[in-house]
Amino acid sequence: MSGTPFLLADSVTKRFGTNQVLTRVSLPVMERDVVCIVGPSGSGKTTLLRCFALLEAPSEGRIVMQGVPIATADPDRQVKNAARAVRSDIGMVFQHFNLWPHMSVLENLTEAPMLVKKMPKDEAVAIAEGLLKKVDLADKRDAYPARLSGGQQQRVAIARALAMSPKVLLFDEATSALDPELRREVLLVMRQLAQEGMTMLVVTHEMGFARHVGTRTVFMDRGEIVEEAPGAAFFDAPKTERAKRFLQQFEEE
Amino acid sequence: MFKYQFRWDTVWGSFDFLMGGLEMTLIISAITLVLAMAGGLIIALLDMSRFRALRWIGVSIGEVVRNTPILVQLLWVYYVLPIVFGVRIEGLVALIIGLALYQAAFISEVYRSGIQSVPKGHREAAQVLGLTPFQAFRRIVLPQAIRMTLPPLASNFVQLIKFSSLGAVISVSEITRRGMELSATNFRPLETFTFIAVVYFFICWPLAMAIRFWERRLQAR
Ligand SMILES: Nc1ncnc2c1ncn2[C@@H]1O[C@H](COP(=O)(O)OP(=O)(O)OP(=O)(O)O)[C@@H](O)[C@H]1O
Ligand SMILES: [Mg+2]
Repeated sequence: MSGTPFLLADSVTKRFGTNQVLTRVSLPVMERDVVCIVGPSGSGKTTLLRCFALLEAPSEGRIVMQGVPIATADPDRQVKNAARAVRSDIGMVFQHFNLWPHMSVLENLTEAPMLVKKMPKDEAVAIAEGLLKKVDLADKRDAYPARLSGGQQQRVAIARALAMSPKVLLFDEATSALDPELRREVLLVMRQLAQEGMTMLVVTHEMGFARHVGTRTVFMDRGEIVEEAPGAAFFDAPKTERAKRFLQQFEEE
Repeated sequence: MFKYQFRWDTVWGSFDFLMGGLEMTLIISAITLVLAMAGGLIIALLDMSRFRALRWIGVSIGEVVRNTPILVQLLWVYYVLPIVFGVRIEGLVALIIGLALYQAAFISEVYRSGIQSVPKGHREAAQVLGLTPFQAFRRIVLPQAIRMTLPPLASNFVQLIKFSSLGAVISVSEITRRGMELSATNFRPLETFTFIAVVYFFICWPLAMAIRFWERRLQAR
């Protein structure tokens, strides 16, 4: 690991009122990294991801992209402009998909490119159709989200994020809301993206994915990064007591 | 009552007169709904304003209107406004202003709950993709909110049809007023007001049923 991180949480602290949810979290993400964040419920994983997605502002510390600060506790004009410039380079996939129900699948995919990038409609449609093929949903282009299974909806959500050609994709428990038999189809798409070299930050309870697809695993507990190890090493030889206890739950399952 | 001789012909004889009143009722209701929709938007915007003074105005209008009787409000607009502003207001104008204000206070709540019915995540998804807050509101929140507000707005129309009968006390010549005038000359209040009640019912009831059906379909989505 060398050079400037592609994306960096630089000593990020986040408080909601008096509740401190993140404590000086520093996490560099290099290009083509697939960083998996695991940890018990309430440990601050979602909050950290939302800071990276610029949905929450840190209370202290900064989010830095390729050396340029894009979020601080008290952003000045320069930071705000930088954030606006890179906004759509950071894509996010949510636990509950958050597809727009009043738009067809195709419209969900073309909306942002047309509005934000001012892309002509036929170009946006062509890209959207390509992406739908990629997530194996070409035949659903005119369906409305409510008509799709959870797994299909999440694949559409991934395609929607990809339509903006992001440089990094954040996943917040992308499979947690799905029935077990629908998770695989989503995990396969995520694995394919990782293999294609997409930079990814993945909050997940899928230990198999973290072990086999992740390049690094980060273990969070009570708002701190407790342990961090490359790929499978975290699972084979957890160093801290807390991580060992956390991993035990999954063995028992 | 036992030996009552129904004289429906007194009503049929004035059928056109009464239907003219019904037309008036529907026109008043429609105009008032449009004004109330605009007024409701203004109150909702005041309620959500960044400025405390504006929020206070919005909330106050809502509270006053919701916590005083509609009839008193109408009488107030009809008798007090002219004194304050030194102009004579026709009953019709007073009725429309009063009803519109009253419904606007409720419609502002309809808008608010319509907007709140759109999950925050839909807006956040838009934000992450790079839409500005305004774009997200216009393209993602508003279309969904409007869909949710249409049935309640239609219900407001039904309510207006009924409330517009209050115009009778400030001599607006809608159907109830014409019924009062008719019964004062034909001395047949039973036939006259029964007929008028039936007319209201067969306009409001199907509308209310259709709206209920519509709402259930929206909820099922
Ligand atoms: N908007 C908010 N306002 C107040 N408190 C919040 C907010 N968002 C999160 N929290 C609190 O922050 C803490 C961490 O929440 P977070 O969602 O980041 O945890 P998590 O690791 O993602 O948990 P899970 O595995 O259950 O999703 C929790 O105690 C939560 O109640
Ligand atoms: Mg979470």
